[in-house]
Amino acid sequence: MEWHWLLIGLFFPLFPLSIGFNALLNATKAPWLKVILLLVWPQIGIALIIQHQATIPEWLQYWGLLSSGLYAFRMLAMREVNIWIGYLATSSWALLWIPAFDQLSEHQLQIFALGFSLPLAIMALISGEIAKRYGAAYTGLYGGLAIANPRLTGVLVVSVFAAIATPIFPTFFAMLHTLVLSQPLPSIWLVMIWGTWSWCAARLLQGLIVGPANLPYPRDLSVGMTWAMSLLLGALAILGLIYTGNLS
Amino acid sequence: MEQLVLLLPVIPIISALMTQLLSSSMGRRVSRISVIGGTLTFALASTLLLMVLMDYPVAHYSFGDTWGSLYFDPLAVLMSTVIAAISLLVRIYSVRYMAEEYGYGRFFVLLDVMSASLILMVAAADMITLLVAWHLIGVFLYFLLGHETRSFSAFRYGFWTFITYRFGDLPLVLAAAVLFHTFDSWSLPEIFAAIEANPDVTTFFGFRVVEVVGSLIAVSAFARSAQFLVHTWLPYTMEGPTPVSALMHAGIVNAGGILLNRFAPLYLQTDSVLHWVFLVGLITAVIGSILMLAQSDIKKALGYSTMGQMGFMIMECGVGAFSLAIFHLIAHGLFKGTLFLSAGSVINQARKHDGIPKDELYQFIVERRPTRKHFPWLAMAILTIVVPAFVLFSSHFAVAPDLFEKQGAIILLFFGWVTGAQVLFSTYQMETHHPWRLLLLVMTTFVIVVLGYTYISHAFDVFLFPDATFAHQLYVAAGTDTLLFNLAAISIALLIVASWLRTYWKESHFVHDVVTRHWARNFYAIVSREFHVSDVYKHLSQWAINLSSRINMWLRWG
Repeated sequence: MEWHWLLIGLFFPLFPLSIGFNALLNATKAPWLKVILLLVWPQIGIALIIQHQATIPEWLQYWGLLSSGLYAFRMLAMREVNIWIGYLATSSWALLWIPAFDQLSEHQLQIFALGFSLPLAIMALISGEIAKRYGAAYTGLYGGLAIANPRLTGVLVVSVFAAIATPIFPTFFAMLHTLVLSQPLPSIWLVMIWGTWSWCAARLLQGLIVGPANLPYPRDLSVGMTWAMSLLLGALAILGLIYTGNLS
Repeated sequence: MEQLVLLLPVIPIISALMTQLLSSSMGRRVSRISVIGGTLTFALASTLLLMVLMDYPVAHYSFGDTWGSLYFDPLAVLMSTVIAAISLLVRIYSVRYMAEEYGYGRFFVLLDVMSASLILMVAAADMITLLVAWHLIGVFLYFLLGHETRSFSAFRYGFWTFITYRFGDLPLVLAAAVLFHTFDSWSLPEIFAAIEANPDVTTFFGFRVVEVVGSLIAVSAFARSAQFLVHTWLPYTMEGPTPVSALMHAGIVNAGGILLNRFAPLYLQTDSVLHWVFLVGLITAVIGSILMLAQSDIKKALGYSTMGQMGFMIMECGVGAFSLAIFHLIAHGLFKGTLFLSAGSVINQARKHDGIPKDELYQFIVERRPTRKHFPWLAMAILTIVVPAFVLFSSHFAVAPDLFEKQGAIILLFFGWVTGAQVLFSTYQMETHHPWRLLLLVMTTFVIVVLGYTYISHAFDVFLFPDATFAHQLYVAAGTDTLLFNLAAISIALLIVASWLRTYWKESHFVHDVVTRHWARNFYAIVSREFHVSDVYKHLSQWAINLSSRINMWLRWG
């Protein structure tokens, strides 16, 4: 086994190397640093793959699929929003081994990774805002966010759905493309991971937004910030419509 | 002009955007935008339907290169019109119904985008558009059902729906991947042409593409149309707002039948898929009806009634009567939508005054008083068996004499016959001063219903599948060995005739069967727990969550 692949396995997180990324994300306290980490981490992996210029061994795909499945399954019981974001990042980036193995262009890989990273980065910002108001971003603890902070809830909901590969976001087309590139049995595993993301997302949201809210309501997200994040998510959706992952 | 079909999903999307942007400044008046958008969509859909009726050629138009294409064909335009009509009615109803609810504007935005997704789904002419619409319907329905964000139970049951839909979407995604692998195209017209040219093309592990894809699509249709084992979400969605229940039961839940119809050219080439589609539909129809009869809550009974109807719709596809399934889902959608929208007033009136006259019918059904006056049991038994059979066969013979060569038609007529017999049996049980007049009334109604159903369903067949050979081949694809079929049909018919005769004899001689009653009590106990299907899912999901939690602890959350 070449050490290059292990190094890349840190950035296209393969279990147990993925523990490093998750530990780093948890140790990072400032939301803006989290955003940078989420945006840059897989891009480093892509840069390393391009630099290495060797054919990726097939077994790495399967390792990526298993790692992705493990983290998707672990998200089910995870209630701390920041750790949840780290798990979803790990689960989605580990799938990048499949398009990388099929030698998709550098540009396409970057777009795929960015498509997954951007909504997660917005989620990290929202998670910071929730922690500021409620002391912790933790699902199932207080609830009622939809009543108390409707703007914050709106952005959170859309970013979660963008992150779990819902149409018309680029993540959806990236998943569809990855599926087309997969072999029959791995493709069944892949769609199960996709379905599990949805299950986890619904559990996460229900623990945060549903239920009556306690008075006094904390301050909602500012209008300017809401617009900025909404425009970013809107741009992401339009990008998804325009850039369909070269599916033809 | 036909390209206007592209505007159908665009109008509700524009309406949704405007509603969202103007909801804070317009207040409750914002619903007008949605109603106007709905009216325009309905007007456009009706115009397109008229064009199809005037024999404009079938075509498909696209927003983009890879995906975003829509059909201009009878199925797409007919279903778009139905969806546009139902969603317009739901919007109008919601204007006042939701007036005091929190998130008024959001509700209309969700109705608009749901309407756009439904239209996109029925008109999709490529697999990506179909997947996008199919997936979005599940997401929007989740938020519509959980519109009341303070209600834990509304979200809990919305969650059941969402999860069933999401896991039900996955086979369709796999089917799309298999089709793309095989034919290197997402376009449905291209895929169907390729299948027609080479129906025996194989895919992974040497399986025939049509069998694999047909099975995967059928599973997706089952989840969407609440077939047995993936039905648990449907009766529990009553926690959502009533207009959403109406939209769901009148439109969304029908998606399974529409999907199977869209893929009719593929099912034409299958060997065995339609057989188990029939079986699943049959089981669902029976179980849904049993569960409906066991409910005391009107909305839940309506939910299970929908399940039974969906089973029948899927069963119709399973016997090759694809166009009949469309007629059925439209008819069911209209009457079930009406029932839901009026359920609130019925409950409200019933709280003030139950309105039930304590007449003979009430005494018979509620107080279980035995009847004393009866028709002669043997004469009535013969009437019960002969009359429905005669009416059904003669009316169908008048429309299409060759219908009886189709096994699927025989099966459906069989069901019609049993239903007719049940109606006459109920008449026999009623106590009345004018028994023969009542019987005549029931029979006349039955004849009118059968004639209406026969002629309208025939018109649907001609409209949706103008190529008679194609329609005939669908029945052939659903058929089985003639000798086996005839033997099965005769045996079941004899069994039913014997059962009816025994039932009449027992009713007329007041025979109380202790063993049957004991069995019925045990059966009711299982039915009241809804066959324990939800319990099994609950335990399985809890087990998965516990395991996930344990793994997280072992790995120290890293």
